[in-house]
Amino acid sequence: MDFKEFKELVFSAGKEQGLSDMEIYATRSKAFRVKAYQEDVDDYSLSVVQGIGFRGRYGQKVGYAYVETLDEDSVSFLIAKAKANAQIIDSDDEIEFFAGATNYPKIEAFNEILAELPTAEKIKSALDLEKYALAADERVSMVNWAATGYSEGEVYIANTKGLEQSFRSNGAYGIVSAVVQEGEQVKTGTRYFFGTDWSKFDAKYLAEEAVQEGISLLNAGTVKSKDYRILLRYDVARELLGTFASVFSAENVQKGLSLLANKLNTDIASPIVTLVDDPLLVHGGASAPFDGEGVATKTKKVIDSGKLTTYLHNLKTAKKDGVESTGNASRPSFKSTVSISPTNFFIQPGKKDFNELVRELDTGLIIISVQGTHSGADSVSGDFSLGAYGYLVEDGEISKPVDQITIAGNFFELLQNVEIIGSDLEFDVPGSFGSMGSPSLIIKSLAVSGD
Amino acid sequence: MLNERLVTDVLLAALSSGGDFAEIFAEDTFNTSIKMVDGAIEQGVSGRDYGLGIRIFLGFKSVYAYTNDTSRDNLMKVALEAAAALKGTTHIKSIVLARECFHKHHPIMLNPNYVKEKDKVDVMKQAHHAASNYHEQISQVIINYLDKDQKVFIANSEGLMIEDRRVRTRLAINSIATKGNEKQSGFNGPGAHMGFEFFDHIDVREYAEDASRSGVTMVNADYAPSGKYPVIIENEFGGVIFHEACGHGLEATAVAKGASVFAGKIGEKVASDLVTAVDDGTIPNAWGSQNIDDEGAKTQRNVLIENGILKGYMIDKLNARRMGMDPTGNGRRQSYKFAPTSRMTNTFICAGTSTREEIISNTEHALYAKKLGGGSVNPATGEFNFAVAEGYIVRNGKIEKPVRGATLIGRGSDVLQKIDMVGSNLATGQGMCGSLSGSIPADVGQPTIRVSELTVGGRKEAE
Repeated sequence: MDFKEFKELVFSAGKEQGLSDMEIYATRSKAFRVKAYQEDVDDYSLSVVQGIGFRGRYGQKVGYAYVETLDEDSVSFLIAKAKANAQIIDSDDEIEFFAGATNYPKIEAFNEILAELPTAEKIKSALDLEKYALAADERVSMVNWAATGYSEGEVYIANTKGLEQSFRSNGAYGIVSAVVQEGEQVKTGTRYFFGTDWSKFDAKYLAEEAVQEGISLLNAGTVKSKDYRILLRYDVARELLGTFASVFSAENVQKGLSLLANKLNTDIASPIVTLVDDPLLVHGGASAPFDGEGVATKTKKVIDSGKLTTYLHNLKTAKKDGVESTGNASRPSFKSTVSISPTNFFIQPGKKDFNELVRELDTGLIIISVQGTHSGADSVSGDFSLGAYGYLVEDGEISKPVDQITIAGNFFELLQNVEIIGSDLEFDVPGSFGSMGSPSLIIKSLAVSGD
Repeated sequence: MLNERLVTDVLLAALSSGGDFAEIFAEDTFNTSIKMVDGAIEQGVSGRDYGLGIRIFLGFKSVYAYTNDTSRDNLMKVALEAAAALKGTTHIKSIVLARECFHKHHPIMLNPNYVKEKDKVDVMKQAHHAASNYHEQISQVIINYLDKDQKVFIANSEGLMIEDRRVRTRLAINSIATKGNEKQSGFNGPGAHMGFEFFDHIDVREYAEDASRSGVTMVNADYAPSGKYPVIIENEFGGVIFHEACGHGLEATAVAKGASVFAGKIGEKVASDLVTAVDDGTIPNAWGSQNIDDEGAKTQRNVLIENGILKGYMIDKLNARRMGMDPTGNGRRQSYKFAPTSRMTNTFICAGTSTREEIISNTEHALYAKKLGGGSVNPATGEFNFAVAEGYIVRNGKIEKPVRGATLIGRGSDVLQKIDMVGSNLATGQGMCGSLSGSIPADVGQPTIRVSELTVGGRKEAE
């Protein structure tokens, strides 16, 4: 049975059971992963899975249910459970089912060449990652991750108001993590590639970069606890952006869970900061023609030269605010209810490359990794205190590696304190809450704890 | 769940390219989650996960494939596709399955699948009222109710065929306190490997009020000072320090390949004499307990560290081969979508002899971490971090004032050596642990302990 046939069955059974509006949000995905260890394939995984999320209106309220098989049992489970769940809802939020747009943007996110990439090629790439990492330096004691993977997915959404859309995408990745050792000192360095164009994957480059980073951290020490001028490398900057992206959600604003309430059209960031949500980005990891409610997506600036120009909306929050949905309804999985998330979300790059930023920093710390964003950051208050490592910079030159420190600050203050933006914008591997991007940023000051 | 004939055929197909071990893990799981914001139910979601994973070993190599389609045709196809990843000749030609039964250690009295939604909502309302009425600074209360009824079927080419049913129930309470423009949240998330009767065993109000108390204390607190100083860590969820700093480094996933600072150190002193630590998957109805692990092996009590000496690791079937040791009942996975690997169950530092009061009164200056948030670790370097959700400064043997926003960092091997006082008040807390085989329920625990020195990250310069 395909999604379309299943949908017909569910909708007609639901109607008999007294459900009015109904919607199916279904996904199907195929994935492959191979891991190399000691010059051989160590771990090999393949999968084909599907899932069907259902929501239906009973009376005024909407209940959710999901299943993973397309059969008669699933039809009755979805109807019965969605109905039962609708009956416990107290919230008066008006949930709208979208009838469909007249036009959807055209997005090419499925690369046929990538889909045909032979398994042998992916295996060789994983083996290469390990081989080049081991060969890069004699201090490499082991390669604890050398893997490549491929996945493709289809999203199908249809409802009783007439909406019916689907979208396919695929992507591949390679990851290498090397352990380097000198005496008792152990450090790791990790690099990865993600994209739809495998010709851009360069195993030797990734492996050598990962090893180089590990080596550069050997003999790291801590620094004195005080405030430092900070250079956040692009990957750390985008990780922080992702950690606090929920503050731009209109849902959080309306619920009093975002300090950006009442801040529209005011300056919330340094005038050099422009933050963009671009679901139409060519080769973007989170690009899609429609959002989790079937609304057509569009590009918008969320912060324009320091000014907050919009929140991210779905249909429900837009209605409450009397605006149009920004096309940011999100279904992180078929199991999830409709929420809000950015798509390809990034800070617009400036002109200076990373080396120029190091010189501009003059004296301060470069942070190349933070740990604990899931626990040491509070998206409501914006406060963060995170484990970190990187390098000390003195007189515009890297003078030594630094570890066992924490950096602490507040996201809202950090936005105001961006002094220089680099040119090195790079996007992270897309997750269920969008794909984050940032160039490296110089921040006026953060509290650093060390000795 | 599956008939014997089909299971045998699929296992043999999986072994057709020379694999020396094959396994089937099938799952049929019902999930419920309900969300209440400010006393009003906002969402209810019910779901059914259904699928199957096939795993094949050849020496140290492993192949894993999973699907939702459990028809004979598809399973045979998937088994052969997975087998194609290995190149060898068949040598296992027949399998005799023997159904294994066991005594159930985690009785379930009231399966939440048969409990009315309204009764679940009533528990949530109780929590909401207690939390929101606690203090005028509580501006919002979010309650999440979760239950899960997982039926698993495991069979392998060694002839094992076993089934288990795991029912888990949990309530998560998040109280947000507001003062002016500032917000801080307090959290409690009690849970158990139990049915709905769990709520007869706990006082929901107590957990709810405590979450609010924590949020209110923190919104009125100053930022924690940075620097290196002694840290007292409270019992229950405080045990996350051992979980992150050492537990992950004692999992065979890290140890087997030498990617852990604890590899090759059995019999060596790795911690202070005061430290004895255990992973015990058999504790009746505990959150991280199971009758059998996700490879079909009975869970057990594993002593990891005894009086400071490293005694053992947590080992899954594949890494057991690599290490030349026996599996320890720690092969776990989130669902059929993950191959199992060595994971913690209920992991804790055992009780010592000091009382909490003795530890505090014997401390001149320290951070007292009453509640910890989550954390993480890089097992290769042992570098860990975790967040202090509720902290205080202890000065001259007395709790002086609350502080917020602190993070603790260090190296696992280091912190174990620096534990210089261990309390007698062992208690556990519930968490979800994320790693290679997904997100799984795990208990952490310890009595109150004191660490002689840790790096405390805060927003204020040292005092």
